[in-house]
Amino acid sequence: MKQLITTRQTLIIGIVCGLLLLTAFFAGCASSAPAQPVTPAATAAPATPAAVVTAAPTVQPVATTAVPVSTPAAVVTTSTPAPVYTYSEGNVIAYTAASLKGASPKLAEGFAKMYPGHKVVFNLDGTQALKTQVQNGAYADVFISASQKYTTELTKGGSFVDGSVKPLTSNYVIVILPANNPGKITSLQDLSKPGLKIAMADYSVPVGTVTYSTLSNLAKSTYGQNWNTSVFSNVVTFETSEPGVATKVSLGEVDAGFVYESTAAAGKNTYSTINIPKNNNVLQTYQIAVMKQSTGKGAATDFENFMLSDAGQQILKDYGFRPIS
Amino acid sequence: MNPTRIFSGKIRRIITCIGAAILIASITLYLALPVAALFLRTTPDLFFSTLSTPQVINALFLSLTTSVVSLAIVILVGTPFAYVHCRNEYPGKVIVDTLIDLPLVLPPAVAGLALLVLWGRVGLLGQYLSLFGISIAFTTLAVIMAQIFVASPFYLRQAKSLFEQLDPAYEQTARTLGASPLRTFALITLPLTANGLISGAVMTFGRALGEFGATIMFAGNLPGVTQTMPLAVYVGLEGNLSVGLTISILLVLISFAIMIAVRLLARGGTFRV
Amino acid sequence: MFDAAIHKKLRDFSLDLTISAGPGEVVVLMGENGAGKSSALTIISGLITPDTGLIRLDGTVLFDSGTGMNVLAENRRIGYVFQNSAVFPHLSVQDNIAFGLRARHKNPVFIRERVRHWLKTMNIEDLAEVRAGNLSGGQKQRVALARALATEPALLMLDEPFTALDAENIRLVKDLTRAFVTEMAISCLVVTHRVSDCRDVGDRVCVICKGKKEWEGKPENLPACTCRNGDV
Repeated sequence: MKQLITTRQTLIIGIVCGLLLLTAFFAGCASSAPAQPVTPAATAAPATPAAVVTAAPTVQPVATTAVPVSTPAAVVTTSTPAPVYTYSEGNVIAYTAASLKGASPKLAEGFAKMYPGHKVVFNLDGTQALKTQVQNGAYADVFISASQKYTTELTKGGSFVDGSVKPLTSNYVIVILPANNPGKITSLQDLSKPGLKIAMADYSVPVGTVTYSTLSNLAKSTYGQNWNTSVFSNVVTFETSEPGVATKVSLGEVDAGFVYESTAAAGKNTYSTINIPKNNNVLQTYQIAVMKQSTGKGAATDFENFMLSDAGQQILKDYGFRPIS
Repeated sequence: MNPTRIFSGKIRRIITCIGAAILIASITLYLALPVAALFLRTTPDLFFSTLSTPQVINALFLSLTTSVVSLAIVILVGTPFAYVHCRNEYPGKVIVDTLIDLPLVLPPAVAGLALLVLWGRVGLLGQYLSLFGISIAFTTLAVIMAQIFVASPFYLRQAKSLFEQLDPAYEQTARTLGASPLRTFALITLPLTANGLISGAVMTFGRALGEFGATIMFAGNLPGVTQTMPLAVYVGLEGNLSVGLTISILLVLISFAIMIAVRLLARGGTFRV
Repeated sequence: MFDAAIHKKLRDFSLDLTISAGPGEVVVLMGENGAGKSSALTIISGLITPDTGLIRLDGTVLFDSGTGMNVLAENRRIGYVFQNSAVFPHLSVQDNIAFGLRARHKNPVFIRERVRHWLKTMNIEDLAEVRAGNLSGGQKQRVALARALATEPALLMLDEPFTALDAENIRLVKDLTRAFVTEMAISCLVVTHRVSDCRDVGDRVCVICKGKKEWEGKPENLPACTCRNGDV
């Protein structure tokens, strides 16, 4: 009788299936393992500019495939099985607000100097995006938030080690213009000139929230509601992260953008600036905290200590952040 | 019965079936479960209530119109292009071939940046357009241009491949029977490649619909003007997870609807060779 | 009346042929595969341009490298049946047959009548509405023949029309071809590599080797081997 499939082929299929089953089994066991900390966990569509230590926004090199777009799938973490740790013991994975992008190389250097043998890897993104990822199971050792609101939310959710939430630094909002000032803007009043192109961050991004508040303050105290409306009608894009705003300005594609003072200081030669008076400005405070899920709390606390130390604070100051008073 | 056989025929067959079933199940589940999770994370009430918010409606309308326009342009321009490209040898053909594939390997954000640096108001070409008061960046046109840039390879590669593989005898016969090249293309080439072209179009539409990186870089994010569904999902992730979920589910439903419709059409048309 | 003198440099050799066929005459082009027979047909049909040459059909000059005359393939009154029949699989049999007539913008009533005539003559009336892709090899060949003849060409060319057919269909197609060529008084070129075909359909045989005509004459006088390398 002619065989449909030989004995040897059966054995091979059996072995392959067995291997698949084993792989599935192990994958299941490791389900609470840290998600790849370098790229945003589980999102298919957004090619978010998640920078790793370097200044240039590196993007997931996979072409954004179409359908369906999935929000981060809820990863069900079972009761604490031993996680699989992809980094060596001395590495700290810091989910960090994007506005620290410019300072991150120096911070990494400083940390390694103060704690030889330790290394920090930054995952830089809008705080709102990082928060969502962490809430859906992404692994981080340290969280640096640009918004008290999100810090409180995460604290309430039990993400942080008790007592580890500390104020880190602060930042004011400032207006930046391309160096050659194509919009001929000389004052905050000019921002309402018709035909200007303005970039700001979306309300969900921390710097966006404070921009809205700042503008509202300015309108109430000085320029009036019409001014506020006119400024908003000049907005051509609500960026999803602060560096996005800065990029549009540095490319000269918009006439003005609202960013943090730290970003403006970092790009001294690229931008002109227009200050926003302190009494109208909203001070954005940053918090740093150690994640409860961290499996290297020692190193994580070391990093927090570094950031709060004189050395760390000086670096932040050098990059235009304001120390917490 | 050969004594050196390890398994009897029946057991062998069962094992093969189980093996195949496992393979099929794993792949199906891998693709289906994340989608199911989307649906399960929200409730019908929440879904329908967020459905009527301006943000969702704007994003839906904008995404659909821009994707359809992008697809139309790609098909109308790309089909004759692919045909002429395949049927003729011309200097630089190899370079054009490579360029068609370029957007596939380029990260979308890079594509967006490139478009911005070319067409932006201080861009290489854009600066001249600015003189005439034409600005492209941050407009709906920019959304369409970004979509076309990243999605066109899907259609062009498919069309190229189809035209190349079509037996030349059909077109040659048509011509000897008196049909002009245009008539041949319309009555012979197109019907015989329609199925494949349609599937290329579906992929292109899907890619255009899901485009994010190039869009946010080149067109920005402005509700009603440039905030497509993928952008709205990302922006809506914070504070309004329900909006993000709703739009994601919408995208899934739209995609399924398109694919099913296309399969039904293709079967009815029976343009199979 | 058809005659052609063509020269074209091909990949391995040069094609250098002089062929002629009178009305109602079937000329068989014989030779091994790759000898250039099919290329000759493609050139005569106008799908490929020769380097130099002169092609005339019923008094009309189709190609003349001297004067630069080159009539487009769709305007030459030549019927060409390919090796695999190349019936349009997505069209019905009657649409296939009507294709050439429609392309030439003939009157619809006339077209309908002509199609009916050919369906009857080829004995495929019951297949009229069948999608041509679903036909058997022999049926496809008959449809292809009808389709080519429906446009009333002055020259009919068949490229290896019998290779894909079984014995009975070969018989049938040969008889049909002979009958129509005589009845319509058209010239006919048949390309084949089989000796038996020469005797069955040919009035004259040209043996082609590596692009050159090695021998020409009546089929019954066909020598046992004529190519220099001993083939045929």
